This record gives sequence, structure tokens and C-alpha cells, in this order.
Amino acid sequence: MNALHAAHAILLLGVIACLLPLRNAQRALAGVATQLLATLLVLYVALPVALGGAPLEGELAWAYPVGTLKIRLDALGAFFLCWSLPMTLLGSVYAVGYLRRFYKSDRHVGVHHALLNMTSVAFLVVYTADHALIFLLGWEIAALAAWLLVIWDYPNQKVRFAGFNYLVSTHIGLMFLVAAFMILYTHAGSWELGQFGDWLRTHPGAERNLVFVLLVISFALKSAFFPFHSWLPRAHAAAPAHVSALMSGVIHKAGLYALVRFLLLMGRPDEWMGWALIGFSLLSAVIGALYTVGQRDLKRLLGYSSTENVGIAGIGIGVGCLGLAWGNGALVILGFAGGLLHVLNHAFFKCQLFYAAGSVYQATHTVDMERLGGLARLMPWTAMAFLIGGVAISALPPLNGFTSEFVIYSSLFGNQALAPWARVALVGTAAGLAFVGAVSALSITRAFGVVFLGSPRDPKVAHAREVSRWMLVPTLMHAAGVIVLGLVPVLGLALVERSAYLAVAAVPDVEPVATQTLRSLADSLTRVGLISAALALAIGLIWWLRTRFTAGGGRHADQSRTWGCGYAATNPRMQYTGSGFSWDFSLRFRGVMSLLRREQKPLGYFPAESHLATQCVDAVEQRLFTVIRHGDRSASGFSQRLREDDPRIAFAGALVAVLVIVALILMREGSLP
Amino acid sequence: MNARLAILLCAHVAITLLMPVLMVGLINRTKAWWGGRKGPRLLQSGWDLLRLLGKRPVVSTVSTPLFRAGPWVVLSASLLAAQIAPLLGPLAPLQFPHDFVALAYLLGFARLFLMLSAMDVGSSFEGMGSAREASFTAYIEPALFLLVGSALIGTGQTSFAGLLGHWHASSNFVWLAAPAVLVLLVLLQAEAARVPVDDPATHLELTMIHEVMILDHSGPELAAMQSGAAVKMTLYAGLIAAMVNPFDPLTHPVQAIAVTLLIVSLVAVVIGCIESLLARLRMRSVPNYLLLASGLAALCLLAAGQLEMIG
Repeated sequence: MNALHAAHAILLLGVIACLLPLRNAQRALAGVATQLLATLLVLYVALPVALGGAPLEGELAWAYPVGTLKIRLDALGAFFLCWSLPMTLLGSVYAVGYLRRFYKSDRHVGVHHALLNMTSVAFLVVYTADHALIFLLGWEIAALAAWLLVIWDYPNQKVRFAGFNYLVSTHIGLMFLVAAFMILYTHAGSWELGQFGDWLRTHPGAERNLVFVLLVISFALKSAFFPFHSWLPRAHAAAPAHVSALMSGVIHKAGLYALVRFLLLMGRPDEWMGWALIGFSLLSAVIGALYTVGQRDLKRLLGYSSTENVGIAGIGIGVGCLGLAWGNGALVILGFAGGLLHVLNHAFFKCQLFYAAGSVYQATHTVDMERLGGLARLMPWTAMAFLIGGVAISALPPLNGFTSEFVIYSSLFGNQALAPWARVALVGTAAGLAFVGAVSALSITRAFGVVFLGSPRDPKVAHAREVSRWMLVPTLMHAAGVIVLGLVPVLGLALVERSAYLAVAAVPDVEPVATQTLRSLADSLTRVGLISAALALAIGLIWWLRTRFTAGGGRHADQSRTWGCGYAATNPRMQYTGSGFSWDFSLRFRGVMSLLRREQKPLGYFPAESHLATQCVDAVEQRLFTVIRHGDRSASGFSQRLREDDPRIAFAGALVAVLVIVALILMREGSLP
Repeated sequence: MNARLAILLCAHVAITLLMPVLMVGLINRTKAWWGGRKGPRLLQSGWDLLRLLGKRPVVSTVSTPLFRAGPWVVLSASLLAAQIAPLLGPLAPLQFPHDFVALAYLLGFARLFLMLSAMDVGSSFEGMGSAREASFTAYIEPALFLLVGSALIGTGQTSFAGLLGHWHASSNFVWLAAPAVLVLLVLLQAEAARVPVDDPATHLELTMIHEVMILDHSGPELAAMQSGAAVKMTLYAGLIAAMVNPFDPLTHPVQAIAVTLLIVSLVAVVIGCIESLLARLRMRSVPNYLLLASGLAALCLLAAGQLEMIG
């Protein structure tokens, strides 16, 4: 526990050091160094707990209105800490490379690093809080730090708009959370999460359902589930790359942490909660995946794929929730382990993809796909990192995305103990997941193919160069993690299995089943790892055979122009575009996506002007503003029809007021005895 | 018993390596017969592959190493997937719970590299082909999982070989066998780029899917791409064979292998007949065709659930 307090102190000292009147490089160094120290301390404490050690507990004495604050680090919190802090550290290292060009300017880079440190502090607070107020405190630090990090480029009006959009959304989420906590406090009579849990476990019913719904909405806003994601594409497109990476990969995982935490507190949730979570998550996954297909902006695309991936993790958590409701140990273990493993894997490959996208932006000053192209030859390391991340995010072997989806699939398939209709529903969910996988493979092919392959579509892009090592090293470290977790998936399982066991504890007499399930799961995952290794080996072997025994096997092959159907003198702008790649597919789903198309076709014998612009905008956001506009119109229309000097309206208003007061008094009387 | 198992596994590997050549030959002979021609030798495609292996490749000036590595990735991933697929009934060299997920995603991995190595040359034609391949697979991808789910509810097995090989012993097989074969056939047509989804013999780049993606590949790389597609075709034909094969390979090895070879050849002949008698669908109707197959698989699943509830 002392090590955790020390980590807090070091991070806060780092914040102060970052704000001192030093040179920018020194401030950044202070930030990164303190992050490194704190990360090592936290790993030293949290790793043993995550791997099965005893939970740590501690207390902080605080002044009167708050009282003693309980801190508790159990396997679930330790699991989240184990990767959140190291990844924030890598993000800070990347920030050095990303912001280096501002060092000589009069921008205060220290503030940015201080905020990154505050993000780490927020993780420490949220993942160890056993007290609702502390939890809210950490939650709010994370939200504000993220907002300030997003608006780094604040002179740009779009960035400010995106920032405020995020700030408003996250605080709407906070209101739901506070409402839920207020209900819980009135019943539990304490702010301790353990007491909340006691009430939740023993009082199933309408009020618990209300609390569940409030909590889910709040956490969904935090983790950007559909339809609460409308802030996300804007914020991710506006923020610096490492901030997008940390928000998508790490900070917003706090929503899923809180979801799992409250499910654990609830002990045995109702069946409908599990189904609701699964349905809601599948919807997020499908819609998120469909939206990735239509995007032109590389970072917006990655933003939508967060919605997709939290959906996939949510499916696992929903299955675990069903397992808790039915008292089915195998489902609990598979569901929670799959969901949490996907959270970990997503953090690895999503940060990597955002870093690669940030490198593209740094080198070319644009993330608009239709201007890029041919970057694989100009920036080979970044291209490799993006490809590895892309294969992982499409859940393909031999990388880590596949392992967690494999666990989620095995939770959806094959449980003999369930009713036939439940099995049909779960298999249907699996088919939905398969669709999501295929769609995300489509969108990654599109993104990688258009941005990195072919030739540059804009002459300015042709001068791009590989980015600095400060940016490459964090990216490639994430790539290494993705590969290792793909080839040795039991490592990831070892990190999450204790957290999944926490859930099993709520159900009586399923410990043996759970242990057995876990063992066979570890067995399957080992085989998955072997298959992945076999795939890598087979590719290597066949490639060796090819270079050894066939003609032209050496490095030199004859070169020629790409086949252009006899029309070879083409302009690079005539390559297939990203919008062209996805237009037919998107059109089929225009019911859920709003596709805008403005065109002027070439007319007449000597066509003069023609243009075509297509855009895929967020339907939820568009709808939101339409509803607001309609509401505004009808409200103003209504108030125009009312006449202030009409006595009838005054009488009616007074009558209503009297009735309300009388009703309130009567209700109060009724509840007194 | 162990020697027998080893021989069976060797037979499986041999089928995945050699049967693709024979299947392509059978399809071509069938098409030639319908056309009133004599047609090429049965093993002609094998000779073609050998000839391609001896040629020096020509690569585009805009391509990256991915362009030349892609075909070999496609071939290795497809061959590895074929070792998970049961061909001889309830038996496969690589077998573990929920291995069908690995099979589907290995094929997905192969497809990703097929599409990327096509896009590497920066040609609009190949971009168009990749876009079609990617979106058409999305429509058909759920079908395999829905089918597996129906078999799984019937048999209670969790490995692909187990649930497909033992499906014929389950009570719902009578009802679901015909639609399942149909779905697998459509999957084959989509994955191996056959008529009516795609026409391997077409000569217009604008109407191709698979062929346009390998337009710039030549020499050994072209051989790898072609054999990869043939392996995928054999894999799906083998799934049909394993599903309806009544012999248990461990007790009746010779019969099981013979029946599998027969059914795979029969599938090749059926494909040849379809290709001779039908034109390919218009590009905009292909998604509907694939969605119909996915819908049929979904109906299979619902029926399996209903039958389980009654039975």
C-alpha cells in the first residue's frame, strides 16, 4: 500500500516539476521520468495481486465531511493498473516525439506532460477506490485531464468544439453516475462500495434495475458504446495522436472497469441484465464496425473502431453476467475472461494503430485517406506497425486480437446446460461477431491499402520521411506486445483469470466447474498459440522454399509498370479511392448510416464542370441536432401562440400549482405512519 | 490403432495437397464436356503450376515486399486451415475445442493478404476487386458460424471435426442436411470464386473479383495464388464430404477415404455443371445471393433450436 502512496506522490511531484519555469525539454524529461518511477512501483505492487496475491487494503484519514477513506486493490483493479500505467508511460514517450517541434516555441509543453501524469494519478485513484466519493474524484480527474489533453491545438475552432462536445458528454455521464450513487447512498447509508454491494445483493427489484440502467448509461457514455458515442469521432480526430491512443485504449476502459466492478458488487444480476448487455454490446460492435467503413479520416476511423471493440468486450461481459444469473460457472469464467482479455488486447493494438496514424500525420500533415498513398515505401516501420495492428484489430491469427475473440466465441458456443432458445440466441450473437470481424477486416484492408500501398495521391505526400525514434519505439513496443500475446495467449489469460474468479465467488458451488473450464480454456489457448506459431513457421518455410528452389527467387525480379488495361499513363489520383472502396458496401447499410453525396455530373457534348463529394456523417449526432432543432421550433411556436395577457392561462397555471402542492402533501401524509 | 490414425492423417494431408489439382481438372473436364470439347488432361493444372514455378516473376515498380510475400501467406494459411477442416468424417490433424473459429479466421487472414497484395500495385482494377472480395465475404461470413451452431446444438460436440463428422448421427440431421449442403456450396462458390459469384474464365477486368486481384502476379507467385484458391475449394468440398460421409474413418478407413474422394469429385462435377449451365450473377445481385445463403443458415439454426425444444 505504501508503494501506491509513493507512486501517487511521485506522480504529483512530477506534475509540479512539469510546471516549473524550466526549459520545455527538461519539463518533458521530468514528466517521463516520474511516470517511469511510478510505473515501476505500481507494477511491483499490482502484478502480484493480479496474478493471485492477496488484495491490499488501506485507509486514509480525511477531514470531517468525508471521514475515513478506504482504499482497496483487488485482482480486478490490479489487472487494470498493470497495463494502464505502462501504456500511459509509453504515451508520454510518444508525446516527446510528437511535441518536440514545439520545444523551441513559446508553447508550455510541461502542462501537457503534467496532464499525462494526472491521468496516471486518476487511474491509481479509480482502480483502487473503495469509496464512492474517491471513485468520483478519480473519474472527474480523468475526464478533465482528457479534455485538456484533447484541446492541445486549441487555436483551431474545430478542436475546441470537439473538446466541449466531449466535456458535455462526459458530464452528462457523470450526472447519471451521481444519480445512481445517490440512490445507493440513501439505501446503504455509507459511501463505501462494499456497503453498496451489500444492498445491491440483497435487494433485487425495481430500484436495483433503475440503478443498473443509470450505471450502464453512464459507463456506456464513458466507453463510447453506441448510441452514446457521438462525442468520440470528433474528439479522436481533434486530439494529438498519443492522446487519442490513450483515450481510446486506456482512459475509456475505466467505463468497462466500472461496469465489471458493479456487476461483481451486484453478485447475482438478473437474467435480463445479461441479455440487455449482450444486445447493447452487439449493436455497438456492428454499428461501430459499419461506421469505420465509411470514414475518410484515419483517426475518425480508429475512433469508431473503439466503439466496435468495447462492444466486443461488452459481449463477453454480458455472457459472464448471464452466467452469474444462471449460476453457470463455465459461462462466468469464459465471459469475464474473454471480455477482460479483449480489453487488454484492444489497449495494445489500438494504441499502436493511433501511434502509427499519428506518425502519418507528423510526416504528411494530413490523415485524409484520399490524399495519402504509397507510404509503405517511405515509412516502412510505421507501415509495418499499422499492418500488425490492423491484423490484430481484425481479430486474425497469429496476433492477440484473435485470442480474445476466440475466448468470447467459446463462451458463445457450446454449453450443454442451457435451454435451446438461449443457445440459439448465443450462436446468433456469435454470427453477429463473425460479421463484425469481416467488416473490420474490410475497413482495415481499405485503410492500409489506400494509405500505405500504391503511390502517393498528393505530390506533397511523396516527400514524407520516417518519424523519429521517440515515436517509433513506443509504437514498436506495442507491436511486440501484440505479437507476444498472440503467440503465447496464456500470458494474457494469467492476468485476467483472477479477476474472472472474483465473479465466480458470487455463485455457490461452481468453483470446481470454473477451475475445470479455466484449465481447458488454457489448453485451447495454448493450441491457438501453437497454431499461430505454426502459421508463422509455415509462411517462413514456404517463403524459404520459394527463394531456394524457384526461378527469380533472389531479391531481383524483373520490374514493369502495373497492368493498366493498356492505358498505363495514369495519374496517381486515378487510383482506387477509399470512398470508392466502401461505397457499395455502405450503400447497403444506408438505413443506419447517413451518407451524403453531392455531385454534378458532366453534362452535354463539351462538359465543363463536374464534381462529386461523398461523406459519411454520424447519424446519431445528426439526429440529435435535428431533434433539438425541431424541439426548439415547436417550443417557440407554442410560446408564440400563448398570450401573456390572457387571464385564463394565469388561472390554469395557478390551479395546476395548487393541485401539485395538494398531491405532494397527500403523498407525504400517506408515507408518514 | 495408432498406425491407422497416422495413415489416416497422412491421407488427410495428401488429400489437401493433391486433391486441389484434381478438382480443378475435373471442373475443367466437366465444362469441356458440356461444351462439346475434349478438354485438358485431368492433372493439367498441376503441370501449369510447375511451369509457373519455373518462370521469372515480373513485379510492378510501385510494389513493396508485401506484393511478393502475400501469395505465400495465402497459400500457407489456406493449407493450415485445411488441416483443421475435417475431410474424412470426424477426424482432422489439428483438432481442439472451437477450432472452427481458428479455421474461419485463418481463411480471413489469407483473404486479408490476398486483398493487400492486390492493392499493393496501386491499380484501380485491383482495388475494385479487393473491395468486392471484402464486402462479399462480410455477407457470407456469418453463414459458417450459424451452420456450426446448428450442428453443435444437435451433436453437443465442440470441435469442428466432431460436430460435423457426428452430425449425421443426430436427430436434426434429416431436416438440416440438405440446406447445410446448399449453404456450404454457396460458401465454396464465394470463397473459391466460382460461378455464379465470380467467373474464373472471364476476360473483362471490370467484372472480375478473384482474377482481377491476381492480375499483376506472375511466375511462382501466381502459382501460389492459384493453388491457394484451389485448396480453399477442396476444403469446402471436404466439409460437405465429411458431413455426409457415413463411415467412421477409424473403423472403416478405406471406405471413408473412398467415399470422401468420391464426394469431393462429385462436388467438382456439380460445380462444373453449374458453371456450364448458368451465367454468373450481375455484380449487384451477388450480395443478395450470399445474403440468401446466410439467411438459410440462420433458418437452419432456428430449426435446430426448435427441433431441440421438441425432441
